[in-house]
Amino acid sequence: MKRFLWFSLCVFILLLLYTNIGLAEIDPVSQTSTGSHWWIWPIILFVFTFIIGLVAPMSGVGGGVLFVPLSTAFFPFSVDFIRGAGLIMALTSALASSPELIRKGLANVKIMAPVVCVSMVTSIIGGIVGLWITNAFPSGKYYIIIALGAVLFIIFIVMLTSKRVEFPEVKEQDSLSKALGLTGSWFEPSLNKIVEYKTTRLLVGIFFFSLVGFIAGMFGLGAGWANVPVLNLLMGAPIKVATSTSMAIISVNDAAAAWIYISKGAVLPLIVIPSVLGISIGARIGAKLAVKAKPVFVKYLVMSVMLLAAILNIIKGLKGLHVI
Amino acid sequence: MDKNKVYVDPLNIVFAKAMEITTYIGLIIMVVFGLLYLFNLHSFVNMKVAVNNWHLPVSTFWKEVKGVEIHGYHWFISNLPAMDCISEIGICILALAPLAGLVSGLFKTKEQKIYTILFLILIIEFLFAILKPIILPSVGGH
Repeated sequence: MKRFLWFSLCVFILLLLYTNIGLAEIDPVSQTSTGSHWWIWPIILFVFTFIIGLVAPMSGVGGGVLFVPLSTAFFPFSVDFIRGAGLIMALTSALASSPELIRKGLANVKIMAPVVCVSMVTSIIGGIVGLWITNAFPSGKYYIIIALGAVLFIIFIVMLTSKRVEFPEVKEQDSLSKALGLTGSWFEPSLNKIVEYKTTRLLVGIFFFSLVGFIAGMFGLGAGWANVPVLNLLMGAPIKVATSTSMAIISVNDAAAAWIYISKGAVLPLIVIPSVLGISIGARIGAKLAVKAKPVFVKYLVMSVMLLAAILNIIKGLKGLHVI
Repeated sequence: MDKNKVYVDPLNIVFAKAMEITTYIGLIIMVVFGLLYLFNLHSFVNMKVAVNNWHLPVSTFWKEVKGVEIHGYHWFISNLPAMDCISEIGICILALAPLAGLVSGLFKTKEQKIYTILFLILIIEFLFAILKPIILPSVGGH
């Protein structure tokens, strides 16, 4: 997998430069309305998502949460294509990491199944509603951009206030969690022992996941920022289990919502391919850098960027509606 | 026997394996043909035209770029020799990975009837997500 990604990177840069620089020299039509060469966009996207991939593992947020608002604020693409690409990026990362986490006992399909039964429906509805708003109303995309800014504020507050409990103590399971056997274990290297855990408050958790699923489908976000606190603080899953199971939940929810975007033509390989490659390669390097870097500093840096993106999106939306 | 060996329910293992295999297939098709598209091999959507119109909402974009209204999956299935359409197939395979996991996992739920029901619900929901654009194209349409 690692070799495949590195190989793709080398081939991508070399061939793109070779093919497209040559083409641009002989083809004067290859100018966009913004005056740039069209072929520069895949490179810009690749570099942009590569940087996001580097920073994301150090800050503890998913790449999609940075990609969607920043692209909406700074890039010329319609928010429809940005959400489509964001969803595929979140899906790819979740699918790439989930199987190994499941095998280690960290991600638990038994916790995922009842939660996703509800959140998959709401994520599909979110995808439908999001695309309907931008296409049915003349100013629809500006409403979506403002709502995205508002969601970013919520994410910012969640990141600022939520605490993580490494090993929450669940004294007693609720009857539903007990009936479903929501327990598990994994080997924790820092303790050099197998840690057993159980979760509780399943019904309340399902309610929150239904809201999160809607937001994820509507804005094309992975929703780890919300999944993890619900699993960890509310349902009592250890933090490693919460982050890993969140990945499995994202993989199912985003895959279901992706079909809505694919069927509407909102998933363009022109945007998706450089973005997926950039974020995948960046995230692998970022994960190694995270060991050496100061995660707290990076976390606050990323939160500042998110706050800025939230403000810019709201200003962009309000300007589009001629409110300011 | 390794004292650090963790017991993981076979249901989890089968789910992970099927999802992993499908993910690799989807990822390879998506990336390889996507790159060929970026290097100007046979394409359905001309990149220059796409870049000049990608600021438009998706429905207007397709009307401007190809003069069509997009509903369902016919737009890329019927243009498969095009590299971007084959890449789109890779994206579809990627989006099928959790379904592959659920279908495989279903056969490991025999002793846990509640999970048989949950997995069946999930499979039906997933199939609805895939088929909705074909059977209910106007819901959430343009």
